[in-house]
Amino acid sequence: MSNNKIDILSIVASKLGSKVEIQPGHLSTGTIIAQNGLHRDVLKAMIDADEKTGITAITGLDLGATIGVYYHVHTSNAFVTIKAEVPKENPKIQTIVDLHPGAVFHELEVADLLGVVFEGHPTPGHFVLSENWPIGVYPLRKDVKPQEVKLVPTPASEEIKLPENERLVKIIIGPQHPALLEPEKFAVTVDGEIVTKVEPRIGYVHRGIEKATESRTYLQDVYLVERICGICNSIHAAGFVECVEKIAKTEVPERARYLRVIALELNRLHSHLLTLGHAGLEIGYETLFQYFWRDREPIMDLIELTSGNRVYSSLMTVGGVRRDIKETDIPKIKSTLKTLRGQLPFYRQIYQNEPSIKLRMVNVGVLKREDALKLSVVGPVARGSGVDIDVRKDEPYEAYGEIPFKEIVYKEGDTWARMNVRMDEVEESINIIEYAVDHLPSGPFRINTARSVPAGEAVNRVEAPRGELFYYVRSNGTDMPDRVKVRTPTFANIPSFLKTAIGESIADVPANFVSLDPCFSCTDR
Amino acid sequence: MTDTKTWARVKSPWVLHFNSGACNGCDIEIVALLTPKYDVERFGVKLEPSPRHADVLLVTGCVTQQCAERLKRVYDQMPQPKFVVAIGACACSGGVFEGNYNVLGGVDKVIPVTAYIPGCPPRPEAILDGVVKLLNALNPPKPKKEPKQAKQPELPKEEAKPEVAKPEAAITQTAQQVVEEVKPIVKQ
Amino acid sequence: MIDFTLIFRILVFPGFTFILLFTLFCDWVERKIEARIQNRVGPMVAGPGGILQPLADFIKLLTKEDIEPRDAKKTIFKFAPLLAFTIMVFAFCFIPVDGTSVFSTTGFSGDLIIILAFATVANFLLFLAGWASCNPYGTIGSARVLTQFLGYDIPLFLIALTPAFIAGSLQIATIASDQAGKFLPFILMAPWAFVLFVITMQAELEKDPFDVPHSESELVGGLETEFTGAKLAFLHLTRDVQVVFGSALVVELFLGGPYGPVIFGPSWIWYTLWFVLKVLAVVLISEYITTVVARFRIDQVLSGNWRILLPAALLSLMLTVALVTWVYPLLV
Repeated sequence: MSNNKIDILSIVASKLGSKVEIQPGHLSTGTIIAQNGLHRDVLKAMIDADEKTGITAITGLDLGATIGVYYHVHTSNAFVTIKAEVPKENPKIQTIVDLHPGAVFHELEVADLLGVVFEGHPTPGHFVLSENWPIGVYPLRKDVKPQEVKLVPTPASEEIKLPENERLVKIIIGPQHPALLEPEKFAVTVDGEIVTKVEPRIGYVHRGIEKATESRTYLQDVYLVERICGICNSIHAAGFVECVEKIAKTEVPERARYLRVIALELNRLHSHLLTLGHAGLEIGYETLFQYFWRDREPIMDLIELTSGNRVYSSLMTVGGVRRDIKETDIPKIKSTLKTLRGQLPFYRQIYQNEPSIKLRMVNVGVLKREDALKLSVVGPVARGSGVDIDVRKDEPYEAYGEIPFKEIVYKEGDTWARMNVRMDEVEESINIIEYAVDHLPSGPFRINTARSVPAGEAVNRVEAPRGELFYYVRSNGTDMPDRVKVRTPTFANIPSFLKTAIGESIADVPANFVSLDPCFSCTDR
Repeated sequence: MTDTKTWARVKSPWVLHFNSGACNGCDIEIVALLTPKYDVERFGVKLEPSPRHADVLLVTGCVTQQCAERLKRVYDQMPQPKFVVAIGACACSGGVFEGNYNVLGGVDKVIPVTAYIPGCPPRPEAILDGVVKLLNALNPPKPKKEPKQAKQPELPKEEAKPEVAKPEAAITQTAQQVVEEVKPIVKQ
Repeated sequence: MIDFTLIFRILVFPGFTFILLFTLFCDWVERKIEARIQNRVGPMVAGPGGILQPLADFIKLLTKEDIEPRDAKKTIFKFAPLLAFTIMVFAFCFIPVDGTSVFSTTGFSGDLIIILAFATVANFLLFLAGWASCNPYGTIGSARVLTQFLGYDIPLFLIALTPAFIAGSLQIATIASDQAGKFLPFILMAPWAFVLFVITMQAELEKDPFDVPHSESELVGGLETEFTGAKLAFLHLTRDVQVVFGSALVVELFLGGPYGPVIFGPSWIWYTLWFVLKVLAVVLISEYITTVVARFRIDQVLSGNWRILLPAALLSLMLTVALVTWVYPLLV
C-alpha cells in the first residue's frame, strides 16, 4: 500500500526543481507550471513516486493569445494541477496517454472542443460534437460565436461498415435502445458470442453547458450546472458553489454545511436505490427493480419535504442553502429512514446470496486493481476493485470531516462487487443523514454574497453517487465565470467498460455496463 | 365498429421512450411511472422496446443536433396511428438549454407533437395525466367526466393540440399524414 | 349430413372460441399475478378489474398500420405468425378439456407425440418469422429461440414419457383418465418428474429465468422487433396460446387432467371447471418462478440443459421404468 506521507511537491522539486515553477497551496495542494513539454516529466516523476497517481481531468481554456492545457492530477494524498500553455496558431502538445492510459478521453475532449493537437495521440473526427458541426471550429474558444457557425450537412446516415473478417459481427447498441435510458451509441464487434471490440460514440447528449455557463451569471449557473444530470443534481450544484465560494473566500455557516450534507446524502440514497433496481431490470429481474423503486419513492418524498422539489432540489446557493429544515420535519425524516433501514437486510441478502444474481454478476466485467489505477476510475467502480478513494474521506468537504462513516471497499472488482459497494453505501448514507440530523448546529443557513466574484480560479472535488466529481472555475471579476470545467464520474469510468467488456459474452454487456451506473447526460454535458 | 377501435386504442396505449438529449430527470420520472407507486399498467400503458410496437412516443430532452436525425427516424418507424408527447420544459421549448450551440430546442422543430407536458421535470402524475388526456381526446363521446385538475399550480398542463404541428422542412411525408389523420378524430 | 355438434365443438366450445377467450383470460391472470407479486395493481381500467386488457391490446394491434420492412422475406414474414397460431390452436384441440378432445373422441393412440411435434413446429415457425424480418435483433432473437427449443425439446420429450410409462399409453386422454381411475394423479406417483417437467416447460415457453430470446436489454424486441399490427397481434397470441398449452399439458400429464369430483348436473361442466382451475394453478406456479429469479445468460441456459436437465431427465425415466416394473404393481 502507498505511504500516506508522500510529499509529492518536494519530490517534483528535487527532480525538476529549476525547470518548473511550483506554487504550493494554489488550487488545492499546489500548482506546477511546466512549459515546453515538461508536463510529461512532472507527471512521470509523480507516477513513479506514487502508484495512486491518476489524471482527474484535463482542462483546456482560452487564455487569449494562448490555450491553456491544465492537467489535474490526483495522488494518494494530494491534488496537483500541472499547467501548460500552447500558442493558439499552432496548438501542439505532447500526449500523456502513453504514461497514463486513463487520459485518452480527456485528450479527445480537449482536442474536439478547443482544437489542441496531442502529438502521438491521433484524434480523428468529432468526439462529443455532432456530425454536422464543421471541422476546425472549436466552440470553447472565445472568438467563436455559436450563432454564426454554419452547420455542414450531416453525412448521409452512417452505413454500418462490415468488419473485414467474416466471422465477426458488429452489433450496434443505441442510440435508441432499451438497455440505455439515454441516447449513446456503442458498436460492439462480436466473434460468435465473444466481444472483441467496443467502439463508443458519445455526444448525443452534448448540450454545450460549459460554454453556456460563460454567458450566464453565477446565480443562473447554479441552476444550469444542476441540470447537467437529473439524478445527481444536488452534487453538481454543490461542486460549483463550493468552487465559487473558494474564489470569493466565503465562509459558509455551520448549519448550511450540515444541511448540504443531508441534501447530498439523500441524493446519493435515491441514486443508489435507482441503480440497484435498474441493474435488476438489465438482468431480467423485474421484481427486484419494482421493489427497489418502491422503496425509493419515500426518499423522493423526503427530498421534496426538505427542498420543495421532487427531483431538482435547487437547494444549493452561493453562501449556503436556500431552505432550512423545519424542526417539525425531523421526525418524518427519521421514521422514513428507519423504515428503509428495516428493508435493507432483505435487499442485502438478495444481492449477496441470490443464486441467479450471482450467476449473472460474479466474475463478470472484472476490473483488476492495477487497471483501475491505470485508468483512473472513480467512485463505486474503483472501490469495487479494491482502490480506497472517496473524496469524502480523502479531502473532506462540507461537514463530512465531522461525521463518522465507513468507506466501503470490495476487492473482487466484478459487477457483483460494484453493486454491493452501492448496497452497503446505502446504509452508510442513512447513518450519515441520521447523524447530521441529530447534530444539526443552530444559526443561519445562508449568508448574503456579492453578485460578482473577484478574479481567480479554484478547483473542487466532491463525491457524487457515481464517484468523484471535479469542478474547475475561473473568474474574471465580473458576475459571469470565465471558464467552468466539469469532469463527471461516468466520463472517467467509461474507459474501464471498454476494457472489461472485451473477451466476455455479449450477454454480459448490459449487466457489466449498468454496474458503472452510467450517466451520459453527465458524460456529454 | 369504430367505437370498439377507439376503445381498444384508448385502453391500450403502448409507449416508446426516446431521450433526445435530456438530463435524465424526465427519463427517470417516466421509468418511475412503471413502478408500484404510480403503476401505469393500470391504464394498459406498456413501455415497449421497439418503435414498431409503439403507439405513443414520449420524447424528453432538448433535441441535440446529433439526436435530431435519430428522433425523426424513430418517429418514421412507428406504425400509424401514432402520437408524440413532449415531456419536460426542454422537449417543449428547449428549456434552460435554449440557444446553446448544439441544441435545436423543442421536439416540434423535428416532428409534429400532439401533446406538451411542461415541468422540470414534470411529476409522474403530470405525465400520466397528460397521456390520459391525450387519449381521452380520441374519445369524444364521453369526456363528461371532468379530467382531474393539476394539483400544483406551477405545473399547468396544456390540452392536447394536434394542430400545433407547423409543417416545416423537417417534417416528413408520414408526419403530415398523421396530423391529417388525428385532426378528424379529435374534431368529431 | 352435417354434424352440427362437431362444428359447434370445433368453432365454439371447447374449440376455437373457447381457446381464444381462455388464452386472453390466462394472459390477464398472468399479468395480474406478476403485478401483485411486484407490489403493483396491474391492468385495471379495461373492463372489470382490467379483464379486457388483453382483448384491448389484441384489437388495437389489429387496427394498427402494418409495415413490411424493405429487406424482409415477404411471404414468410406475412404468413409465419398466422400459421404458428393456427398450429398451436390445432395442437390444443387434442387436449381433452371437458373429458374428450374437440373432435368428440378421446384422441388416438400416440397423440401425445403428435401434439409435442406440433408445438415444435409452431416454435420453428416463430423462428422463421424472426429470421425473415431481416433485422439483426430479430435474427439473433430467433436464433436463440431455435437453439433453446432444440435443446430443451429432448428433456421435454423424455420427461413427458414418464406419465406415459406409468399409464402404459401414449394417448393423452388415457393418461389423464388413468390418473382418475386406475392410479393417483401422477404428481403424487412421480413428483420428481413433475418438478423437472415444470422447469423444462418454463424453458420451452421462454419464461424467466430462461427468457433469453426476449431479453430486452440485449435484443430490443427479440424476434418480434420488426413486426407491427396484425402480425404482432398473432405473434403475441401464439405465445399466449403456447403458455396455456404448456400449462394444459402439465395438467393432463401430472394433475389428473380435467377429471375431478362431479357434484351435480352434467359432468362436462365440472370437468371444464376442474380443467380451468388446474391450468390456472399451473400458470400461478410458472408465473411465480418467473417473478422471483433473474434471467440466465444464453450459455448458462444451454449448458444447464446439457449438463443438468438432460441427465436428470434420463435418470427420471430410468427410475420410472424401474418403479413401473417392480414397485407400482405391488401397490395397485
